[in-house]
Amino acid sequence: VISVLPITIGVLVAGAVYLMLQRGMVRIIFGLALLSHAANLLLLTTGVSAWRGEPLGDRLDPATAADPLPQAFVLTAIVITLAVTVYMLALAVIGHNDDTKRMPETGEFHDR
Amino acid sequence: MTAPLLPLLVVLPFMAAALSVMVRAQSVQRVLLLGTPAAVTVAGVLLLLEHRTETVLAHNVGAFAPGVAIPLVSDSFSALMITVTSFTTLVTMVFLIQTGEDRYRFVPALALLMTAGVNGAFLTGDLFNLFVFIEVMLLPSYALIAVTGTWRRLGIGRLFVVVNLLTSTILLVGVGLVYAAAGTVNLAQLVGRAGEDPAVALAVSVVLLALGIKSGVVPAHGWLPRTYPATSAGVMALFSAVHSKVALYAIYRIYSTTYDGQAAWAPVLAVIVGLTILVGAYSTFGEHIMRRALAWQMISGVGHILLGLALFTEFSLAAGIFYMIHHIITMGALILTSGAIEQTYGSGRYERLAGLARRDPWVAAVYAFALLSLIGLPPSSGFFGKVGLMQASASAGAWQAWTFITIVSVAALGSLIAMQKLWSGVFWGPQMENYRPDSPRTGRGRRVPLPKTVHIGWRLAAPGAFLAVVQLAMFFFAGAIIPIALDASANLTELQPYVEAVLR
Repeated sequence: VISVLPITIGVLVAGAVYLMLQRGMVRIIFGLALLSHAANLLLLTTGVSAWRGEPLGDRLDPATAADPLPQAFVLTAIVITLAVTVYMLALAVIGHNDDTKRMPETGEFHDR
Repeated sequence: MTAPLLPLLVVLPFMAAALSVMVRAQSVQRVLLLGTPAAVTVAGVLLLLEHRTETVLAHNVGAFAPGVAIPLVSDSFSALMITVTSFTTLVTMVFLIQTGEDRYRFVPALALLMTAGVNGAFLTGDLFNLFVFIEVMLLPSYALIAVTGTWRRLGIGRLFVVVNLLTSTILLVGVGLVYAAAGTVNLAQLVGRAGEDPAVALAVSVVLLALGIKSGVVPAHGWLPRTYPATSAGVMALFSAVHSKVALYAIYRIYSTTYDGQAAWAPVLAVIVGLTILVGAYSTFGEHIMRRALAWQMISGVGHILLGLALFTEFSLAAGIFYMIHHIITMGALILTSGAIEQTYGSGRYERLAGLARRDPWVAAVYAFALLSLIGLPPSSGFFGKVGLMQASASAGAWQAWTFITIVSVAALGSLIAMQKLWSGVFWGPQMENYRPDSPRTGRGRRVPLPKTVHIGWRLAAPGAFLAVVQLAMFFFAGAIIPIALDASANLTELQPYVEAVLR
């Protein structure tokens, strides 16, 4: 049971690296999303390795309560990754297909 | 007593950014755009004066118990960095106003948000908060780099976002590992921990790896010279003044705080530093565009700055910090002057520009002085920067003396020849016959004959010229600046005041 999280993190990172080495922007974004999930799980493992109870009600004793700090880390990290993912998806859309095909006709001059 | 005011340095730019979104009047936006970095510069100078008597100022935000609270800490090093970066930002903002880029939607707000993140990253005493502030700094720059929306900047914006998000994730993983290994991410509680515990040392090195990619050290430098020159000159000057410098500041701070002296992998750092200096200097040869050549020189500069850390004596750290200040100002002068040339003649290519020494002699003079500084010839701030690094190498030990003095001199020679190529391409030769003024519809227009009356306007050239004068002043008044750099390096080697101020 202890090795579930590390194995999950490893699989997520492997998938992330595979997707990020592709050419299409959308695949790269999915790869980065997987990588950020891996990072979040890794942050969680730093706090809940002993699988202690949630710090609510009568379980406020530091010896039995879970560490809230990694959970705060994860929350912050999720917010940041979500914002950047949305922005990158927007970049992938408005750039047409210039990551895989020819550049779009924008009326600019690109002479060398 | 000034410690509780430290959060203002972060809050003030945030409030100014919010105000600039709500009030679209040009005058208000310009006051905010110039007033905020000016106020931060003044605050930085006042902090520097305060640190003459009080070594470290720390404020636990929210008045939580020390160790639990998230501290904002200021010492000579962070105050010096805040002063120099916000001053350069101020000058760059003037340039952005001259080119009209501040009129693009949300540019003032994005630039101000970025300065908030930068100040926070310089002040924070907590590794996770460092990650958050670096993200606060990067999110507006993702938009700034693609702000005008031409296809080329969009493509570059993708590269920039992907690289920086990947490194941010590595940084986050590193912070998580530090927390797992040490049980805290407070720098004051991490003092010397990596020197004792190999697990902490490994975790901290993951953090440093991420920061190294962000600053552009050599095996992972490829993204920087490709992305920075593709934005406008003003935005590139902003990025070069703050982005890699925040990462370098954090490397200096974390390395010297957590490892007790040198890390076990210090030889690897020495190799990376040597490679960065040389690769940056000699890759400049392959470029035919002014700002692309300068981007490679930035890589070389990153190597020079990290040389102070690789040697790790109190004097070498001071030399590295002095070089960092010199590099921020000199690079600003060069990029902004290149931007003025591009803005006027519509190109930054060596073969498209010629004869500017006769056409715009004052701009040529400014560029010449800034180039002297980049290479390290007197009279310029770069001269003392390189002398300091060589002296530090000489006093560090036998093999360091030989290796690093050779590397710095050989790199300076390479930079000199590469910059001569730029100089003879852009400033010498026959007069240009045609140019490409900006067209209002598509950005850059068609080539038209160049009339005799077209020159670089003094308003456009003034920001770069001002920075070039500042670096010249750093040559003549180096005696006043070197003690500040020594103070800053003392903050990195004597950690007792830092710990006492934070955990008091």
